Amino acid sequence: MGGLVQKVKLFGEYIPWLQAMRDKGALTFDDLGLPTPKTEAWKYTKLRDLNTDDLVIEPSNFLAEMRVTAEEACGCHHEDEGCGCHHHGEGCCCGHHHEEGECHCHEEGHVCECQQKLHVPFDAYVIHFEKGKMIPPFPDFPRGVEVMNLMEAVITEDAKEYLGKVADIKLHPFAALNNAYMEEGIYLCVHKNVKVDKPIVLINHTKSGEENIFFNIRNLLVLEQGAEAEFVEWYNYTGAVKSRYFANVVNEIVLGKNAKLSHYKLQDEAFKANHIALSVVKQKADSNYHNFCLQRGANIGRNEVKVLLTDENASAEVDAAYIMSGWATLDTTTDILHLSPRTFSSQLVKGVVGGEAKGVFQGKIHIAKDAVQTEGNQLHRALLLSDTAEIDVKPELEIFADDVKCSHGAASGELDENQLFYMQSRGIGREEAKQILIDAYLEEALDKVKNPEIRAWLSDYAHAPQE
Amino acid sequence: MTKTPLLEIEDLHAKVADKEIIKGFNLTINEGEVHAIMGPNGAGKSTLSNVICGKPGYEITSGSIRFKGKDLTKMSAEDRAREGIFLCMQYPVEIPGVAVTTFLKHSINAVRKYHNLPELDTMEFVKMVREEGKKLGIDNEMLKRPVNVGFSGGEKKRLETLQMSILKPAFAIFDEADSGLDVDALKVVAEGMNGLRDGKRSMLIITHYQRLLQYVVPDFVHVYADGHIVKSGDKTLAAEIEKDGYAAYTREK
Repeated sequence: MGGLVQKVKLFGEYIPWLQAMRDKGALTFDDLGLPTPKTEAWKYTKLRDLNTDDLVIEPSNFLAEMRVTAEEACGCHHEDEGCGCHHHGEGCCCGHHHEEGECHCHEEGHVCECQQKLHVPFDAYVIHFEKGKMIPPFPDFPRGVEVMNLMEAVITEDAKEYLGKVADIKLHPFAALNNAYMEEGIYLCVHKNVKVDKPIVLINHTKSGEENIFFNIRNLLVLEQGAEAEFVEWYNYTGAVKSRYFANVVNEIVLGKNAKLSHYKLQDEAFKANHIALSVVKQKADSNYHNFCLQRGANIGRNEVKVLLTDENASAEVDAAYIMSGWATLDTTTDILHLSPRTFSSQLVKGVVGGEAKGVFQGKIHIAKDAVQTEGNQLHRALLLSDTAEIDVKPELEIFADDVKCSHGAASGELDENQLFYMQSRGIGREEAKQILIDAYLEEALDKVKNPEIRAWLSDYAHAPQE
Repeated sequence: MTKTPLLEIEDLHAKVADKEIIKGFNLTINEGEVHAIMGPNGAGKSTLSNVICGKPGYEITSGSIRFKGKDLTKMSAEDRAREGIFLCMQYPVEIPGVAVTTFLKHSINAVRKYHNLPELDTMEFVKMVREEGKKLGIDNEMLKRPVNVGFSGGEKKRLETLQMSILKPAFAIFDEADSGLDVDALKVVAEGMNGLRDGKRSMLIITHYQRLLQYVVPDFVHVYADGHIVKSGDKTLAAEIEKDGYAAYTREK
């Protein structure tokens, strides 16, 4: 049986509050169904290309792990030695099956294939996922930074206070699905006043397989009062480019008073794959949240960020860039809720759309009745590289308070012929000149990334030609 | 001494958006010569420079343009530049987000590549740009700014001159190089132009006024009206026009 709704055995079905959340997710998805072109929040996202019929959900790693531990697995896998990239149930990390003792993974100088490909070019705490499943071990985190896999945090009940309580699944069928399959993901808690010294990077690496897999990742990030951290999500793919997997990600984020989180994301999925993600952020007073997402892969890619500014002087910047060609749809959806006086938000989204691709920006700023002296600004700009490229923009302002400052702007244009000719007249080839202009166009958005190393890393992807 | 022709234009006709602008234009510029084309507003002076440089949107209906004996009309704009034609623009284009150094590096390396020369590495490039910039009063700060964005008229012209001194073209066209400049800026531009006169490099100065020609003295002056040259002479022709205006030539048709 394939598709979005499948009977799979998940870890912890005996835990009532966890199972209740999953059941509610399944029921909600059953009620809502997949969005249609008439569903307002999804009307521009070409979900008819989602093709879910043959999607396969792989068996739970948590249940498998118990089995593996019991049977000692293949005998050539080792968390404490060798490359450190543990691959469950697939034989050796080099991708081959060996007879016992034949694995060469620990020979001196050997670097695991997946580490070679997914080198993080800046100093960071790196957590590896493969096809939506976490690959232990975790790096050693400093004092005051607690990281567990989500199921562990369910058992210890660390996750209980917020899990499923930040993201509202009522109107979001994919978040509901994510609830139904809740199992893989991380729980991150940064304790009071702790400033994490390096970015924490979650890499999900999908390698091509014969089947089109469907996986869900659910992360819960809690920054206690005065805590500071940088969190990076990197969705990456290697293998046959035609793989049509589906990644469905939900992040629940809670920022305590005066906490500060920079949240960066690179969506670089296979061009036939689909990636739908929702981050919901709840902010206490004086906290600051910065989100920057670069989307450059996937057939349908949607990055949705919902921010609840619940207390005074909470501020959020939600910025993004996307670059696409072919037939892709890349959707950036934001929903900023100013629920308290003197809360601040700003958004800058820039996109480059070529081929027959379609860019979508839906940006909502909601200012509640009492949220006076609030400021919300939003700007979306897109560059269309072909006559067949399309851009749909839906800015929405819902203002119920007086004495607020709110602005939104949207513009789309083409490459400037005079600029192109000027460069050509200096010997720069037309195609090279176009690339220079595209790079310059995205630079304004990339400038929003404050960490220079992360900025340089994202910049390389923004400026690299697409496959 | 036999002269080597650099640019040869024969019976050129060209149109923009179905309107014929250039009507039977003939001009030969030999190596080392400086020619000035003077004409009233609306005579199609800028069209002429754009057609020579291959700007899209201009259609050559008949005639020929050869550069170093090669048929220019079949070449892309970038290849014409790489062959050694430089257009110093009346209104240099602003390119937000692209630093002057980035722009110059792409430019010089594209030209070098065309001539099978190795690309300059960053150190070599920076050294050269700083040296050339210094001569023109362009400081490092200006080199970091986006191309022409927020530049004064004088700064724009200095950047054009810097590009020229780096690319070292065989042939440079100055399209209304003096427009919008005060006397001091004009002198800087003229100095830059004179600095490029080495007996081998050729220039075409397109201008409405004689002003610039007092500082950069041309070998030949042509009066251009209604899409072709109506009179040719030496530098005294420029003074004549300054005195009598273009009326005599525009009435001719």
